[in-house]
Amino acid sequence: MLSALGNPRQAAAQVLNFALVLSTAFMMWKGLSVVADSPSPIVVVLSGSMEPAFQRGDLLFLWNRNLLQETAVGEVVVYNVKDKDIPIVHRVVRKYGTGDEAKLLTKGDNNQADDTELYARGQDFLVRKDIIGSVVAYMPFVGYVTIMLSEHPWLKTVMLGIMGLFAILQRE
Amino acid sequence: MHNSLNRLQSVFGFFTTVAFTLGCLIALTDLWAERTPSGVIKATNTQVVKGRPHYYSSKKEEYAIIKFSLDADLSSLFTWNTKQLFVYVTAEWPAPEAGMNATNEAVIWDSIITNPSADHLVNLGPIGKKKLKASAGGKSIAPERGLLKLKNQKPKYQISHPSGKIASAEDVTLKVHYNVQPWFGLLTWNTQSDIGRWKSFAGGVSDQFSLPAVKVKDDKKKP
Amino acid sequence: MAEEILDKVRDVVEGEIDFKGQKRAELIGTLLLAITGLIAFNVGWVKQDIVLAMYLGGAGTALSFIAVVPPWPFYNKDPAKWLPVGSGLTVG
Repeated sequence: MLSALGNPRQAAAQVLNFALVLSTAFMMWKGLSVVADSPSPIVVVLSGSMEPAFQRGDLLFLWNRNLLQETAVGEVVVYNVKDKDIPIVHRVVRKYGTGDEAKLLTKGDNNQADDTELYARGQDFLVRKDIIGSVVAYMPFVGYVTIMLSEHPWLKTVMLGIMGLFAILQRE
Repeated sequence: MHNSLNRLQSVFGFFTTVAFTLGCLIALTDLWAERTPSGVIKATNTQVVKGRPHYYSSKKEEYAIIKFSLDADLSSLFTWNTKQLFVYVTAEWPAPEAGMNATNEAVIWDSIITNPSADHLVNLGPIGKKKLKASAGGKSIAPERGLLKLKNQKPKYQISHPSGKIASAEDVTLKVHYNVQPWFGLLTWNTQSDIGRWKSFAGGVSDQFSLPAVKVKDDKKKP
Repeated sequence: MAEEILDKVRDVVEGEIDFKGQKRAELIGTLLLAITGLIAFNVGWVKQDIVLAMYLGGAGTALSFIAVVPPWPFYNKDPAKWLPVGSGLTVG
């Protein structure tokens, strides 16, 4: 790998290759966001408020288009508390009215109380546009790596260290 | 494949492909399993009381307490891919002021029924968990857990309306719903109509009833 | 001296195998994982036990890693016969 530095064309080719991989991944992610109409179509479960259905580290696939029917009671939705960037994955337990103005109340399966305390001050219910997606599919355990990396930042250093070690120990 | 790291990456890459394909196949098998959910539900006792949403609220609101009896067979919903079944009973009633299609729907009771493969994840203490695991009798799936028989069940949630008024609401119906949480794949709910081998819920809707007026405390009438 | 030790470590980490061995390793790895997947699915399906399927899959995968990653001697049965140093034609 270090030998590439001596050859600028090869170095440029490697950089380009790397950039291509990154941009393809980015395009696929954004493409999925557009299709699902959600800013974050794949999320990792961070809390235990929906246990035993979801555990920390599980992967959820979201869909934000109401093609066949409106968001209904019983669906598991992801919403952001007004003006905060914390996505919460809970179940809709009440719906008053229909359409975009319908008032929705959510609650985590593993919580005793509903989410009224979590909403912004003066906000007693959610409306459809607060919701950034409804859970349609599920994969267990896959996302646990991201949780480990974000909660134990020293792991990132260890990973970089190992990669560096391999760079030295490899022959090219 | 010329060095160990290369082989490690190659095997890991193919492993993820195989694991994902395996997961998809498992999810697909659910389409082959027959689903025949059925049930009978009826409201047995209804009451409307006044209460506060929070201890610090100044306004009192009306809350409906709807007791019900439920006899349901959800055993066909348990397959090897079923992680848990979330069963919930909702009370639905129309909102005459807001227009023709406006309805209100609120969950009055819910229950989480796990498959033995997910028993270790349930939120119970060690003794409770042991009992739960033992009840499965060593089997990997336990469809008998899907048989529900509730008599005059007290609701988990007392429901209200944003307006604060729910007394004397008319055309209230109770409906039974389920949500199957898989180990891998799509989450599914009651189907509106029959889809392939999945039949829609047979029964599961109560007759219409009305909620009573607010209960008035009447100590003088005690015998 | 340090260069020698580093070289030895590099040899171990690299785990080089000959070309025929590489082909064999790829084949064995692919086959083992694919068969693991098939067995895990079918046994799990017949016994309707997803936990069993997971354990079988995990065991088969571990076996695949062990069989393919380390440079076992049966991957080195056909070492490439390199010409001795300096025996090639020199350009004048």
